[in-house]
Amino acid sequence: MRNIFRIARWEFISRFRSRSFLFNTFVSPLLFTAVLTLPIFIFQYQPEVSTKLVGVIDLSDENIGQNLQDELNRYYRLKNRSPEYMILKVSVSNSKPYSRMLKEYREIIARKDSINSLYNQIKDQRTEYYKNTKIPNREYVLRSSYEKLQITREEKELVQIESNRFKTALDSLYRNEAKNMADSLLITEVLNSYLVFTRDFTKNGNMEYHSKNPGDFRETERLEKILHTIIIKKRIINDNVERAKLRKWLNPIHIKKYQLFAEGQKEWNFYLQFYGPLIGVFLLFMAIFTSGGYLFSSVLLEKSNRVIEVLLSYANSRQIMGGKILGLGFLGLVQVLIWFTLTLILIASDIIPAQKINYLTLTNALYFLIYFSLGFLFYGSIFITIGSISPNEYDAQQINQFLRTVAIFPVLLSLIVFTDPNSTLIRTLSYIPFLTPSFMIMRIPLSAVPITMDIYITIIILIISIIGIIFVAGKIFRVATLMQGKRPTLTELIQWMKIS
Amino acid sequence: METNILEVNQVTKWFFENQVINKLSFKVKGGETFGLLGPNGAGKTTMMRMIMNILQPDEGEILYNGIARNKIKSLHFGYLPEERGLYPRAYVLEMLIYFGTLNNLSRRKAEVEAIRYMDRLGMVDFSDTRINALSKGMQQKIQLIAAFLHNPDVLILDEPFAGLDPINQIALRDILSEYKKENKILIISTHQMEQAEKLCDHICLINQAKVILDGKLSQIKKKYRENAYSIEADNSIAFLHDIKGINIVEENNNSCKFTLSHDNISISKFFEQIKGRVKMRKFEIVEPSLHDIFIKLVQEQTAKS
Ligand SMILES: Nc1ncnc2c1ncn2[C@@H]1O[C@H](COP(=O)(O)OP(=O)(O)OP(=O)(O)O)[C@@H](O)[C@H]1O
Ligand SMILES: [Mg+2]
Repeated sequence: MRNIFRIARWEFISRFRSRSFLFNTFVSPLLFTAVLTLPIFIFQYQPEVSTKLVGVIDLSDENIGQNLQDELNRYYRLKNRSPEYMILKVSVSNSKPYSRMLKEYREIIARKDSINSLYNQIKDQRTEYYKNTKIPNREYVLRSSYEKLQITREEKELVQIESNRFKTALDSLYRNEAKNMADSLLITEVLNSYLVFTRDFTKNGNMEYHSKNPGDFRETERLEKILHTIIIKKRIINDNVERAKLRKWLNPIHIKKYQLFAEGQKEWNFYLQFYGPLIGVFLLFMAIFTSGGYLFSSVLLEKSNRVIEVLLSYANSRQIMGGKILGLGFLGLVQVLIWFTLTLILIASDIIPAQKINYLTLTNALYFLIYFSLGFLFYGSIFITIGSISPNEYDAQQINQFLRTVAIFPVLLSLIVFTDPNSTLIRTLSYIPFLTPSFMIMRIPLSAVPITMDIYITIIILIISIIGIIFVAGKIFRVATLMQGKRPTLTELIQWMKIS
Repeated sequence: METNILEVNQVTKWFFENQVINKLSFKVKGGETFGLLGPNGAGKTTMMRMIMNILQPDEGEILYNGIARNKIKSLHFGYLPEERGLYPRAYVLEMLIYFGTLNNLSRRKAEVEAIRYMDRLGMVDFSDTRINALSKGMQQKIQLIAAFLHNPDVLILDEPFAGLDPINQIALRDILSEYKKENKILIISTHQMEQAEKLCDHICLINQAKVILDGKLSQIKKKYRENAYSIEADNSIAFLHDIKGINIVEENNNSCKFTLSHDNISISKFFEQIKGRVKMRKFEIVEPSLHDIFIKLVQEQTAKS
């Protein structure tokens, strides 16, 4: 019995001092956390270098540019309080074809105006003729003025049609010229992006957004939100609603998210809620596979360098196995406790906002320890078996790789766990002992209701599997460790279990 | 003091269909050095592993002072496996202390003993070296120290001389003969017959799973003495062929090994016959070497089966 502790001590000390343990305990978790959280930081704290110019091509008479500028100023400002966005009305006054056409159009408008006034004049005159019955020759005057009116109206209608047609053509030209202009400004990076508003955009809600990277969701989301408000405002104003009321109606909303827990509600934060458990799974995986991996390589190494024969001459195979599991299991616990301590230090120094993270509790720490221990025993005894029957390191490492992949597989489903940690699929999967530790470590913090029942069930399943595997491992370990050269067949394996 | 006794009774061992040991029996007493000899694959290592309780015999029993081997604590036994079994990245002294404590030595005692033995084998300067920085022979010495660090009553050494230089071979023999004086049981296997001859009192030769020779070394030698003589001269001794009753066994330039057939000629007659015809440099009675016996017996037995 004492040999178990001696072997455990040796395994513990020789691994504890190794560089790989240091790396797995301090560097890997740091790296992982960094890789996981860096994009968030980069995304959130993108440096706002300078004011962005947004071009506007306005084909309506809504003066949308000014509205947009006002709203943008209200929400988005740089650190130095200056506006983040500047609206630039894209002007085409320099364009020759446009100014030529504009001149023609103005002539038409002038003509239209003069005909209009002529028409009105005739109309007024006719009203007078009607009122004044004493005019000589009244019959004739009325008739001839009517004819005049008729002709003028026809002419007026024609001019109207022409001016409309011309206006459309002018708009179209304006639009093309403006777009050309804006595109060249985009290319030379004067503009960040530009917007095109059609004549009836308030009615049909159609706009265009031009940019070198329209996939920049942060930008488009902001513009969309603001334009939405502006347009709705305009639509409401068109329906003659008081301005004061309008402001009240369109007050922006903020949604704070809370999660319900047995002990009350807590504010909900996506990053803490999602990445916390993910880091938890990673740490659990690290712990299980650091010490489990040592167990594995220790068996492999002793088998290949024949130390196993020396050990077997001093201690029996049960002691050797027990000693290794004990020593390396303890090593894993030390690793976990080091992480706990680091977490406490980070909490104490306010780097981790513990009061906001509901799952940082003693109970959950205990669950972490339990699932680590069970996971370690489960994978560890599998590793011992594989290590002792593998004829060479290469084969063994491949199986090791495979098991790692299986164990980390739940992370791929993390989003599903995230949306519903207690769905039938996830529950069923977490009863599979290979996946239990990873799934449970995600589910426990994510589940709104306590999943005590599942915790008990999975623990029992794990314990039963562990007993089974250790039983098999013990039998195989003894016989297999002295074998060399070839991989045993299944019948041989069964035979070994019988003889030992 | 009562002498310890290790008995192997009718032990049989199979590896699947391959019978490696077939009803092997022998007995070793304290103060005796037992040589387990045999060609490659004869089953020596397997037998030793069974004595070390690393493997279990399929049939038969191994008794130490009348008690079944698997009921006895391993700390009475010391073992040198045939292949090095050391942690390559461990430090020499630390690892020796670990092995010592596995046999119930206190750390302190293990350290003292380890340093004592390292000093004796000229290894004391390497106590803080990693194993993989040692040469093969040095590693063999460390492995030996691990075997007798805890002063076991039964010492089992599988090819202990492999890789040792002549000086270290002598140092090892010295240590082993001390063990012998303390009335301990020593079982060695080796392919170096001269070493076996110098060291062993009792020889057991196995081949193809069976004992083909078992007995005290002196008796074995007597049994295989062949009435052989060797003669060396300064002139040609070809005329020996003409003398009746002489069988030439081996002939080289001016030297030859021969036997006399008792009926026809005695040694004094032989001397009369050669008188004046030879300038004798050397004449001796040839003792059969273990080497010769080994080769002869193994070849005979292999030919039979
Ligand atoms: N673990 C094992 N599994 C299967 N067969 C084995 C095993 N160990 C030994 N054998 C077989 O048993 C036979 C005896 O092997 P053993 O190692 O005892 O020989 P040995 O006398 O020590 O040989 P050597 O002089 O080469 O060391 C060999 O045929 C070997 O193939
Ligand atoms: Mg051997």
